[in-house]
Amino acid sequence: MSGGSAVGGDVILSVQDLRTWFHTDQGLVKAVDGVSFDLRRGETLGLVGESGSGKSVTALSILGLVTSPLAGGRVLFHGQDLSRLPRAALRAIRGDRIAMVFQDPMTSLNPFLRVSTQMMEGLELHQRLGRKAARGRAIEMLQLAGIAAAERRIDQYPHQFSGGMRQRVMIAMALSCNPEILIADEPTSALDVTIQAQILELVQDLTRRMGTAVILITHSLGVVAGTCDSLCVMYAGRIAERGPTGEVFARPLHPYTQGLIRSVPRLDREAPERLVPIPGQPPSLVDLPPGCPFHSRCDRAMDVCRQRYPGASCAGPGHSTHCWLYPESP
Amino acid sequence: MQPLPLTPLDAPEPAALPGGSPWADAWRRLRRNRMASASLAVIALYALLTLGAPLLPVHPYAEQVVAHKNLPPSLRPAGELMLEARSAYLARLAAAEARPGLDAREEAELGSMARAVRTDPVHRRHYLLGTDNLGRDMLSRLLYGGRVSILIGLVGTLTSMVLGIVLGSLAGYHGGHLDNVIMRCVDILYGLPYMLLVIILMALFGRSVVNLFVALALISWLTLCRVVRGQVMSLKHAEFVEAARAMGAGPGRIIFRHLTPNTLGVIVVFSTLMVPQFIMAESFLSFLGLGVSAPLASWGSLVAEGAGVMSLYPWQLLGPAVAMTVFLFAMNFLGDGLRDALDPQSRAQP
Repeated sequence: MSGGSAVGGDVILSVQDLRTWFHTDQGLVKAVDGVSFDLRRGETLGLVGESGSGKSVTALSILGLVTSPLAGGRVLFHGQDLSRLPRAALRAIRGDRIAMVFQDPMTSLNPFLRVSTQMMEGLELHQRLGRKAARGRAIEMLQLAGIAAAERRIDQYPHQFSGGMRQRVMIAMALSCNPEILIADEPTSALDVTIQAQILELVQDLTRRMGTAVILITHSLGVVAGTCDSLCVMYAGRIAERGPTGEVFARPLHPYTQGLIRSVPRLDREAPERLVPIPGQPPSLVDLPPGCPFHSRCDRAMDVCRQRYPGASCAGPGHSTHCWLYPESP
Repeated sequence: MQPLPLTPLDAPEPAALPGGSPWADAWRRLRRNRMASASLAVIALYALLTLGAPLLPVHPYAEQVVAHKNLPPSLRPAGELMLEARSAYLARLAAAEARPGLDAREEAELGSMARAVRTDPVHRRHYLLGTDNLGRDMLSRLLYGGRVSILIGLVGTLTSMVLGIVLGSLAGYHGGHLDNVIMRCVDILYGLPYMLLVIILMALFGRSVVNLFVALALISWLTLCRVVRGQVMSLKHAEFVEAARAMGAGPGRIIFRHLTPNTLGVIVVFSTLMVPQFIMAESFLSFLGLGVSAPLASWGSLVAEGAGVMSLYPWQLLGPAVAMTVFLFAMNFLGDGLRDALDPQSRAQP
């Protein structure tokens, strides 16, 4: 972990009260409803949550890749609100200063184009490199991503690469323009367990060397514990708890975070304890009832939990939660 | 940043997988298909012969040698055939009039004709496929007619490809109002009777090859537009499109760099099967007298001319009919082969 040095650094991305709502036939889906977080230079931030908790939509909203316009909130990148930028200006930032790696490497490369064509696309678009220079840079990135015989492999097609290799290509592609932020949307979920660790190591290694900040979206607490400086636990489109990774693991505040940690086996505990699952299902995001969305599954729910969503309670530097169990901070 | 190469984490990669580009794979499968390869060879031969027609030692297609009218296909020089045909005719005439032999005037005519055959070099011509009713070389007319027919097939297909791909991609990718406008235009044009429209256009703007091209192309992009639109709609939510957008690619780049190559398989198959349709349409129009105008020929106009005299001079019909049929067969077989080669469903097969 790059640790404490990054935490004090300057904020390069500030997401403030982000709301992404979708109008569907079933009703209004508040996929992301009031998410705020800051990302500092060189920091690795984990977004953790179950499927449907709004992690991916948050990531796509940052880059303006969702179809419907934001229902509210601001995405400040170096003080510039990305959600109000004209399309062309936003396209200039995508891939160049904020890059993204997607979940499934099998489908996120175009099967009809050579890897070289796809890798050079961003370089030609953003860095105004000539074909030769772009190709050289692409080969260099592939080598950095640990692809052997990159000069030869670059002219092959995606189907000639294995899943892990493709994710390496995706990472190399995303980092080729030297972005300030890399958004990795569950980069290891579609891969074998053995490959997962390699890919995470690669992301960590490359981004640290290049000074890239990372937003790592995952549903695995283990991944977060191993790689992230700080984390945000998301539930039903909201952030339940946020804080430095060590702090949150040592002293989880929100009952949901506590439940998540209890449901994961740990190697660093002496006696094998029973894993405790969280009862129930995440609520449907269609017409979510008022109050804390977790109250139906929470064993410490109170009357107030069903009525109003709690404000933030601060528990330490950078560590806060939204739960009625704790006194609201002024 | 320091370029510090990591040590590769993977084991030495396996030997390069067979194939490579999806196009190379398709080409391999196509070559393994015997009918399709044979068709490809036939089409190549046609292309070579028709494109190279000016270089071939054939008589000019428009040159009339009236003395040589309606000669049958033969390897012998035209003069001999002409003399034979004339004497046979005169003999039949004499027999019909119940005379024992030719009279003096007829003998004299044959004599002067025989002299002309010996002296005039024009009578030493050979007509491998015979001549038409104005004494024009059928082989030459067939080659130049093929040029027009194939050109109409290709230009029509290309035009409808460009229109269909561009409009179909735009409609499919953007959706919304643009999609509505484009597709309603397609629906309206679909509703009009195709041939009637072409005939009206030809009648309005006059008979010329260019007008024929325009008339056919204007109508023919409709189906392709729908096909491309459907393909693009199903592909535009693919993750690689999202990835390209996240890379900062604009709509133009995504449509023409990322989506079109993925739809090209369907388009190629569709277009191959469209070439025969164009040739048929042109032939039909020529048959009706709305196609190319004389002395220019097309397979359709040749068939139309030949059909009128098919009981007397069958070669005038057979030549163009066979030439056209073989070409259309080859195109259709090639289209079928291409569909098999480019179909992702058959990709798993060896």
